[in-house]
Amino acid sequence: MKKFALVAVIVTGSLLLYAVGDFPAFGDAKSPANAGVEGGFSVSRYYITETAADTAVPNIVTAVLADYRGYDTFFETTVIFIAGLAIFAILRVANPGAPDRRDRPSSDSGVEGDHNRVIIGMTCRLLIPVIQLFALYVVAHGHHSPGGGFQGGVMLGASFILIAIASDLDTALRRFSERRYLALGCVGILIYGGFGLLCQLLDRHFLDYGVLHKLMGVTPVMARSHSMLGVEIGVAFTVTSVMFAIYANLSTRGELRSGL
Amino acid sequence: MIVTLLSVVLILAGLVFFLGAAVGLVRFPDFYTRMHAAGKGDTLSSLLVVLGLAVWRLHDVHGLAGLREHWSILLVILKLLAICAFIMITSPTATHALMDAGFEDGIDPVIDGENNNALHGRRAQAPPADS
Repeated sequence: MKKFALVAVIVTGSLLLYAVGDFPAFGDAKSPANAGVEGGFSVSRYYITETAADTAVPNIVTAVLADYRGYDTFFETTVIFIAGLAIFAILRVANPGAPDRRDRPSSDSGVEGDHNRVIIGMTCRLLIPVIQLFALYVVAHGHHSPGGGFQGGVMLGASFILIAIASDLDTALRRFSERRYLALGCVGILIYGGFGLLCQLLDRHFLDYGVLHKLMGVTPVMARSHSMLGVEIGVAFTVTSVMFAIYANLSTRGELRSGL
Repeated sequence: MIVTLLSVVLILAGLVFFLGAAVGLVRFPDFYTRMHAAGKGDTLSSLLVVLGLAVWRLHDVHGLAGLREHWSILLVILKLLAICAFIMITSPTATHALMDAGFEDGIDPVIDGENNNALHGRRAQAPPADS
């Protein structure tokens, strides 16, 4: 079996390396990706020249991600959500108190332990608000500068994980309970899908944001810009809750009791 | 000229401390001394390098009048200084947390080149480590 795997790896690897030779040179202006098929339409040139006029968004990457290829991002978010659900479904035990679990009170060790927590706790108290504020900034500013829902969501989730590491999981769960993170993950997907459905209700294609100007009271171009922000917020909700759900379930083998 | 000199000196000093941290990480005998080298060297050298970069940005500013004109440069410098502040807070805390975890996990420091030590007796009386 191992030999078979090795052969498969070598064959696939050499095929991939062989294909590299057919790639156009790095930065080749005449490559199909940059110039389009001969006499045809170049997608990347369209993005570069028309994004500002189409969507009024300076960050082309976000425009491609959240608008032109909105389907892709929608189902990426769904994949993340499903990954979180799968870990939840596999690990979470309904009845905590498995026999092999050492039963110990949470977080009250000796005097020395409390003394040590002062430094770490103080640092976290200083830093977590900054991290969370910056995460919100990254989400809200994603269509103007590098960033967006995924990055901001990861940072927001990491700040809750930091709370769990610095004190214990109970403290983090008091702020971001299981019920809440499961609901928030669903709400994120619903926000994203809701934007798409709203476009359909207004007689356009799924995720064709331009038509939302009828509801928002702005020009169709600005409607696309605002919808991108809305969609990013949905992504951020889902990513935040899935990050924390994965940590909480993996670190306690699905018991959600403070152990670390 | 002065700006260049100052920033080069800062970055070079940072690199020297980085080198010290790397050498200490390899050559020191046990966990605690290695963390000591890595923690202290890393903090100071990152600070110095980032400060050097902040000073380097002053190149594009010509006098105080220029500063008013290129306020975006000031913004970059402020961001770099913010990074300095965060490194100064987080890096020692991370080192402390690792040291603490090592101590609670029962890693013995090396004293006099051998693994019998004065701390061992004291730790035996301490309350049982939580984890």
